[in-house]
Amino acid sequence: MSGSATQGNGSALGRIVSGILGPLVFPVIAILLSFIIGAVIVLATGNNPIAAYVALTEGAVGDPLALGRTLLYTTPLIFTGLAVAVPFRAGLFNIGGEGQVYMGAITAAWLGVLLGSLGPVEIPLVLAGSLLAGFLWGAIPGVLKAYFGAHEVITTIMLNYVGIYLAYYLANNPLRQKGPIPGTESIDYAARIPTIGGALGRANYGFFIAILAAIVVYLLLWRTRRGFELRAVGLSPGAANYAGMRLGVNTVLALAIGGSLAGLGGGVEILGVYGNMDVPWVVNLGFNGIGVALLGRNHPFGVVLGALLFGGLSSGAQEMQFVTNVPLELADVLLAVILLLVTATKLVELIVGKRARALAGARLEEGLGS
Amino acid sequence: MEDLLGSAGSILESTVRNATPLIFAALGGLFSERSGVINIGLEGLMLISAFSGVVGAHFTGSAIIGLFAALGAGLIFALIHALMCITFEADQIISGTAINLLAVGGTGFLMVTIFGSGGTSPRVNGFGSVTIPLLSDIPVVGKALFDQSLLVYLMYLLVPVVYFVVFRTTFGLRLRATGEVPEAVDTAGVNVQAMRYYGVALSGLLAAFGGVYLSMGLLTAFTENMTGGRGFIALAALIFGRWNPIGAAGAALLFGFAQAITFRVSEQAIPIEFIQMFPFVLTIIVLAGFGGRAIAPAAIGKPYRKE
Amino acid sequence: MSEESAGGGMTDVVNAPIVLEMRDVTKRFGLVTANDDISLVLHRGEILGLLGENGAGKSTLMKILYGLYKPDEGEIFVDGEKVEIHDPKDAVARGIGMVHQHFTLIPPLTVAENIVLGAEPRKGLSLDMDEAVRATEELSERYGLQVDPKARVADLSVGIRQRVEILKALYRDVRILVLDEPTAVLTPQETEDLFAVLKELVEDGLSIILITHKLGELIGVGDEITIIRDGRVIDTVNASKTNERELARLMVGRDVLLSVEKGAYDPGEVRLAAEDLTVHSATGEVAVRGVNLEVRAGEVLGIAGVDGNGQTELAEALAGTRHTEGGKVYLDGEDVTSLGADARQVRGLAYVPEDRATKGLVQDFALYENNTLKTYYERPFSRFGVIFPKVMRRRAAESLRAYDVRPPDPGARAGSLSGGNQQKAVLARELSGDPGVLIAAQPTRGVDVGAIEFIHRQILEQRSEGKAILLVSLELEEVRSLSDRILVLYAGRIVGEVGPDATDEELGLLMAGRGVEEKSA
Repeated sequence: MSGSATQGNGSALGRIVSGILGPLVFPVIAILLSFIIGAVIVLATGNNPIAAYVALTEGAVGDPLALGRTLLYTTPLIFTGLAVAVPFRAGLFNIGGEGQVYMGAITAAWLGVLLGSLGPVEIPLVLAGSLLAGFLWGAIPGVLKAYFGAHEVITTIMLNYVGIYLAYYLANNPLRQKGPIPGTESIDYAARIPTIGGALGRANYGFFIAILAAIVVYLLLWRTRRGFELRAVGLSPGAANYAGMRLGVNTVLALAIGGSLAGLGGGVEILGVYGNMDVPWVVNLGFNGIGVALLGRNHPFGVVLGALLFGGLSSGAQEMQFVTNVPLELADVLLAVILLLVTATKLVELIVGKRARALAGARLEEGLGS
Repeated sequence: MEDLLGSAGSILESTVRNATPLIFAALGGLFSERSGVINIGLEGLMLISAFSGVVGAHFTGSAIIGLFAALGAGLIFALIHALMCITFEADQIISGTAINLLAVGGTGFLMVTIFGSGGTSPRVNGFGSVTIPLLSDIPVVGKALFDQSLLVYLMYLLVPVVYFVVFRTTFGLRLRATGEVPEAVDTAGVNVQAMRYYGVALSGLLAAFGGVYLSMGLLTAFTENMTGGRGFIALAALIFGRWNPIGAAGAALLFGFAQAITFRVSEQAIPIEFIQMFPFVLTIIVLAGFGGRAIAPAAIGKPYRKE
Repeated sequence: MSEESAGGGMTDVVNAPIVLEMRDVTKRFGLVTANDDISLVLHRGEILGLLGENGAGKSTLMKILYGLYKPDEGEIFVDGEKVEIHDPKDAVARGIGMVHQHFTLIPPLTVAENIVLGAEPRKGLSLDMDEAVRATEELSERYGLQVDPKARVADLSVGIRQRVEILKALYRDVRILVLDEPTAVLTPQETEDLFAVLKELVEDGLSIILITHKLGELIGVGDEITIIRDGRVIDTVNASKTNERELARLMVGRDVLLSVEKGAYDPGEVRLAAEDLTVHSATGEVAVRGVNLEVRAGEVLGIAGVDGNGQTELAEALAGTRHTEGGKVYLDGEDVTSLGADARQVRGLAYVPEDRATKGLVQDFALYENNTLKTYYERPFSRFGVIFPKVMRRRAAESLRAYDVRPPDPGARAGSLSGGNQQKAVLARELSGDPGVLIAAQPTRGVDVGAIEFIHRQILEQRSEGKAILLVSLELEEVRSLSDRILVLYAGRIVGEVGPDATDEELGLLMAGRGVEEKSA
């Protein structure tokens, strides 16, 4: 994937290298720095950082079971990362990933049961429903911004809570299963996403659906008219306007598409992992999606890599806690620090100098061209 | 009739309790945003302070020490946000999000490290109710307003104090100017970066009071994720209140009221989840009606660079 | 020591002590020399006019004085003492105050609050608003600058806001006051009021520098006038001993004409027309008032004028990127007033906007993407919603080579190109659709000489191919050498039509608003 928008002069090879490596500078530095900070924290709590990181790595990729767990955690993060990346490309913040996931999830929980025992053919139908639910939930802040001027940061955060409570209401009332445990009915096993099997534990084919989604997003952004417009509007609303592109429509679509990706992720989680939605259902996918998107420079393939990192950390942290007594929440801390550092471009500039910064692209949120 | 009055009194009492952390956090957000720095990390600031207060009180047995620990934690986290946004010109929204995540991860991590397990911390001495003589004997409202935690009384004082500081002092004038036209402030010889650091630092301190009230006023222990979105509701109250301390406090009271009637309305009338949704839906409506951030401080969200 | 002043200025004032001297000041921005060895003298109690066109260097010079820029060479003396001014705070400490063209006021705050910001009177812990109000009233009375200290600046008219800006400086006890284009935003009545105030100030011992391009006003109120052109001081004249024609000639000058070959003038039908066009600026004020014009096939119609007289809005309204408040726009006889830029483009209108960086190009897009910014949804670039980058690249490669864009690399990021090459890329895009009408606004602003020549040749080539071209430019020489006819825009109105052989005096006077009665073109 060579960059379509490169820095001009220089050999083709040089451009390809700087096209791929350049944008990686920030994320790599942020990751390294955060691991150093993490090591300090581990030391401060009286543990051995080396042992902790070794266990972390083993727990992420050390054996097929660990790998399977990593894939399990990575899958939804690819979806929520894409859900943030697409609107970012159009110049918008989607912080509503969490609510959009819940809407997709409750729709899947409902449709999965409604369609009964049609078997595997249910899967695409249910997922389509989840996608649609997320699309609509994402369109709301889009409309509010485009036609009412309401800033999408606040509205998407608010809609997170509205979405969660709405999903809980549905799970507790009309969709509630019989019996004392709050939550929806379980979906027939034949209609769920099958596990990959073998030594990979509970990892399921949802991972491949996520990869497919990333490919579709790539094609959408760089091979369709709509994607061209979204990117133009995001990079230069002034020039896009002068060229006759309509800001309102693109705003709504960008957020709606983002929502649909998160919704799809919620559906995949229900069909692939949980089988129903319990109350409470805590996933914390939305905010981590922001980190994944930024780490991946808002590029779908970067998002996949970022999600693998986040997923690996989450998976590895369990092993780390088991073996070394370092709490698995260290992973959350590391991820938060990464997010903090990856956006402080000036700080990285201080460390590696201005030239590397120019190489890596002036604004983080632009991401790669392709 | 007495029953109704009694209900009114207890609703008022609940309203005040619910609104207190919101008001603290909203006032904090006010200082930050008025200086031009968006702070969506109020949630995280409250959480880390709630936790630190409990830790401080746990190890020393003193609620006051706990309070200072909380203030310290709030200040430190706020300064991280300030450093990232003001000096390193990071994106203010992402930084705020990162602060929230750091607080969640950090408190989870430290819960296990310090107390051995997640969930809820051991109980500590908190800021229990203190009855103010005479005032608390006023019929209906007396008990509701004047039989509360010390922190609540602090909140009563803080609202007019913040109003005074923001609108009647030199500091307040310069702060407001910094958030509107930093160029004008710069040419008048006032240090823009310093003003913004003060604004963000104050947001950390005030949000800390809100957090402490949750873990040591309303309850006397720390539970994971106990802020439950209050930091965002406080932000909503701030916006609803047009970045004005009185307005924000009023909006927070409205939200507190909504939470207070949660348990008094029968399940058949309105399902609990819809009542829980109410503050968030209200905020969205307000934003849509007022054209979003059209009335925010004009220079908010953009780092200031000298020419 | 000084006499009462009447319109002609005080001849005695040149004998007053010198309060400010700027000696041999030079300032460069890269390859451009904004101030070239400039020297300037201000006497106590004097109103010194600083006259020059846009880009002449007046603003740069004053920004150096106010500490916003550091000079590369030269010295500044205040009251005979050499000083170093590092920032506005220093300048104010030295008694120098500046009223900027674009006010630095804070709209939600009151007049008094704006004035005292940074030097607030205190009473214990709080800000002493009463004292601030009192001080404001006192200053206001003393200098005849009527303001309501408690009014919110957001509610005030531009004229009154300017008074607040002046009071800001006076509150800090300045002795030297610089006003940058103060009358640009005022009505004639407000202008008179302002000049009365300036005379009061000068009686009180202040010294004033008045930057402007409106030479008529200077004769009325100034004592001496220093004329700056192309970064150099041309002359300093006594206001009472000069006249407008002389000033116009000095201001506009006679530079070497860029010679480009121009074919015969053989205009065809009217292709672009404006009828009684009225347009508002972004801030809601009227920018274009009832303009009528026609552009014919095979002709270049130039719009000349000083910046800020409505050119930007006129071009935007004709191109379809700005809404009109009244009047109509016709393209080949069709009323396109309600159509947007892309619809007009489909009908053969090309637009090279003034601001290529934020409106002409998407800086972070590749050249091939910019090249199809308006055509990406058409064949052969797109079908069924899918776009074909390879086709776009191929087309772009041809186009870029044809228009001498360097490097002619379709994949290069637009922002990595120099100003001239970016402009050529915009031109390449706009002209590749073979439009019938071209609107070019400031086409060579910030562009190197080689690219300027190329762009001029392109424009003339389009002209000989029978296209209708509207050229809006602040560069008089450009307008003169390319246009067949020239309309001068002043305060939103066409105040005159001249040919390219018009004298500097004629053009200068028209541009300064001293023209003949309004003409339609």
